Amino acid sequence: MTTMAQDTQPNKLTPAELAKREGLRARKPYVADKLAAITEMEERGEISPIIRLEKSYLCNFQCTHCSAEYYMDRHQKKVFKIKDARRKIDLDDIRELSRQADELGLARFVITGGEPLVMKDFDAVVEAIDPDKHYVITDTNGWFLDDAKARHLKSIGVEKVQLSLDSMIEADHDAFRNKPGSYKKVMRAIDASLNAGLNLLLSTVLIKGRAKSPEFLDMCRFATERNVGLYVSYAKPTGSCTEHPEFVIEKEDADILRELEKDYNVFTHMTPTYGSFKGCITVKGIITVTSTFEVTPCPYIDFSLGNLRETSLKEVLARGMRNPWLGPYRPDCIIGEDPKFIKLHTEKTRGVTHLPVPWGQGFSDTDTLTD
Amino acid sequence: MNLNELPPLFDEHGRCMPANLNAPALAQSRRYFGITTPQIDYAAIHARSTEHLGGSGILVDEFARRCENLMHALRADSRTHGISKGVAVPFLLPRAEHADYGEALSQRYIPAVAHAFAQAFPQYSFTDHNKNVMAGQLGIAPGSRHERLLQAMQQGPVVGCYFPCLSEYSLPAALERVQALPEQFLLAGGYDTSAALVGTPGLLQRTDGYPPLLWLAAVQAEKPLVGYYYEAYGYNLTFNRRPHFGQAAEYWNSGLTVLG
Repeated sequence: MTTMAQDTQPNKLTPAELAKREGLRARKPYVADKLAAITEMEERGEISPIIRLEKSYLCNFQCTHCSAEYYMDRHQKKVFKIKDARRKIDLDDIRELSRQADELGLARFVITGGEPLVMKDFDAVVEAIDPDKHYVITDTNGWFLDDAKARHLKSIGVEKVQLSLDSMIEADHDAFRNKPGSYKKVMRAIDASLNAGLNLLLSTVLIKGRAKSPEFLDMCRFATERNVGLYVSYAKPTGSCTEHPEFVIEKEDADILRELEKDYNVFTHMTPTYGSFKGCITVKGIITVTSTFEVTPCPYIDFSLGNLRETSLKEVLARGMRNPWLGPYRPDCIIGEDPKFIKLHTEKTRGVTHLPVPWGQGFSDTDTLTD
Repeated sequence: MNLNELPPLFDEHGRCMPANLNAPALAQSRRYFGITTPQIDYAAIHARSTEHLGGSGILVDEFARRCENLMHALRADSRTHGISKGVAVPFLLPRAEHADYGEALSQRYIPAVAHAFAQAFPQYSFTDHNKNVMAGQLGIAPGSRHERLLQAMQQGPVVGCYFPCLSEYSLPAALERVQALPEQFLLAGGYDTSAALVGTPGLLQRTDGYPPLLWLAAVQAEKPLVGYYYEAYGYNLTFNRRPHFGQAAEYWNSGLTVLG
C-alpha cells in the first residue's frame, strides 16, 4: 500500500527502544551521552563508526561464508604452510585504542573474531575497552551462550549480543555452519540473552536468491514475533566466500529485502534508522581493527587504512573519509554489489598470505574511481 | 569567434562536463549511478501535472510542441547538442506565486510528488524523512538563476525540461558551473525537480542498478553546507535533507532546467 509517510517506523523510537535507552542512561550516562551525540556529530561532518575488534581468530566453527577464515592460523597453516609472525595486539593496545576512540567521540565496540566466547581473555578485553566509556557488543555463534554465560556477560558490562542464525531450517543452518547441533544452541542462546536482559540482534547472511525463499520469510517472522532485530549481511566475495561467487547477491535481492523492511523487524547496514542515512557504512559507520592492529573499512574489505602502531586512529579515519571509494555517501554495498570494486579487491588480495593488504598497496591516497 | 567553434558543454552521454571549477566535481564519470531514460509520454505527463499540481490552461499539444522546440534548439547548437543525448524530463508547472519557498515546497510540491508516485506505484511508498520545518527557512541560491523560473511562474504556466546532468558535482560546483553556461540554463531547485517527478514519477526506479540522488541544488537551505534532495530507496521514493559539506560524490546529481 503506498503511503506518504512522514518519518515512518525507521525514525520513530518504539517504546521498547526508548526503555532500553533510558535504562542505559541510568546505568551508563557517559555512554548514553556519547550515543546521543552521534547525530549532531554527523551534522558537523564528524563520524562515529562502530569499532569491530578482532583480537583473536580462534573459532570452534568453520562456516561456509566466513569472512575471517583467511586471517586464521588454521588457514595460514593449511594453505600457505606458514605461521603468522606479526605482532598481535594485547590488552594495552586495546586500552590505547579505547582512549583514542573516546577522544574522538566514538562510542561503540563489537568484539568479534573468530568466536569471541572461546577467548580465554574475553573478560579482560571487555575491561580494557571499558564498558563505562563505550557501548560493548559481542558477536557469537551461540555455542557457549547459555543462561549462566549470558548473565555473566551482562554482569561484566556487555550490552548487546549479535547472534548468527543462517537458516530457520535446522539442517540447513547446521550444514552452512558445518556444525551439527548449532541451530539448537542458537535457539538456546536467544532465550538466554533475553532472560539476562541483554539486547539481542540476530545476524544472518543473505546469499543470492534467499530473499525470495519461504525460509527467509519465516526468519523475518520469527525475529519480529520475538521482538528481536534481524540484521542481514550480504554475502561478499571475500574470505571463504571467495570460493562461492554464486552467493553474491544482485540488486533484486537487495530490493526485495528493502520491501520486507516495511513489514518485519529486518534491516541491513544500509537501512535508514532513526534519521541516520549512511548508505554504505565503510568508515562512516564501521571499521575493523584486526589482530595485528591494522584498520580496515568494513569486515569484508581486506585493504588496510593503516596500522595503529604507526598511525593515529584519527588519521586512519581521515584517510578513509578522503578515499573516493569509502568516504562519499552511496546507497549500495561496494564489496557486495559494485563489480569494479569487487574485481579490484579480488585481484589485490589473491594469494596474499598476510591480510589485510597494507596501506599504500590496497587503498592509498592516490585512489580514483576511474583508473 | 564563431559560437559553433566553441567546445561542447556536454559529453556524449549528456553529462555537463566540469570545466574551470574551483569547487570539487569528479573529472571523469564511470557512469555507475544512472537514470534509465524514461519514455516520454506528453499526454501522461500533462495529465499527472494537471491532477497533482493543478490546471495550467496549456493543452497537451502545446505542451508537447514547446518541449520539442526546446529540445530541437538544444540539438541544433553544437555546444548544447550533447545534453539531448542524456535524460530529459519534460514538466509543466501552473501559474503560481509563493511568498514562502519552503512552505510551498513542503505544502504543495512534495505532496504532489507523493500523490503522483502513489498513483503510479501503489505497491511502493513515498516517504518524506525530513524532520526540519522548511517554512520560512529556504531561499534561492544566489547565482543559480532559479529566480527566473519563479518569475516565469508568476507570469503564467511554465513548460520546461529538467536535465539531471550535473552528475558527480558538489553543490558549490553545480552552482559555479551554471554561471558559466549559456543563459537558458537554470540550476534546478525544488519546484522544477518536483514537477519533473510529478510528471515522471518512476524517474528514479531502476531494477538493474542504482539511480543517483537528486539534489535541489538551487535551494539555499537553512544552514550552509546542507541540502535537500529526492532519492530512491529500492523501488520507493524518498525526500530528505543532509549535510553535503561542499564535497563531490559519485552518487550525487544536480539538475539543469531549460524553459520552453
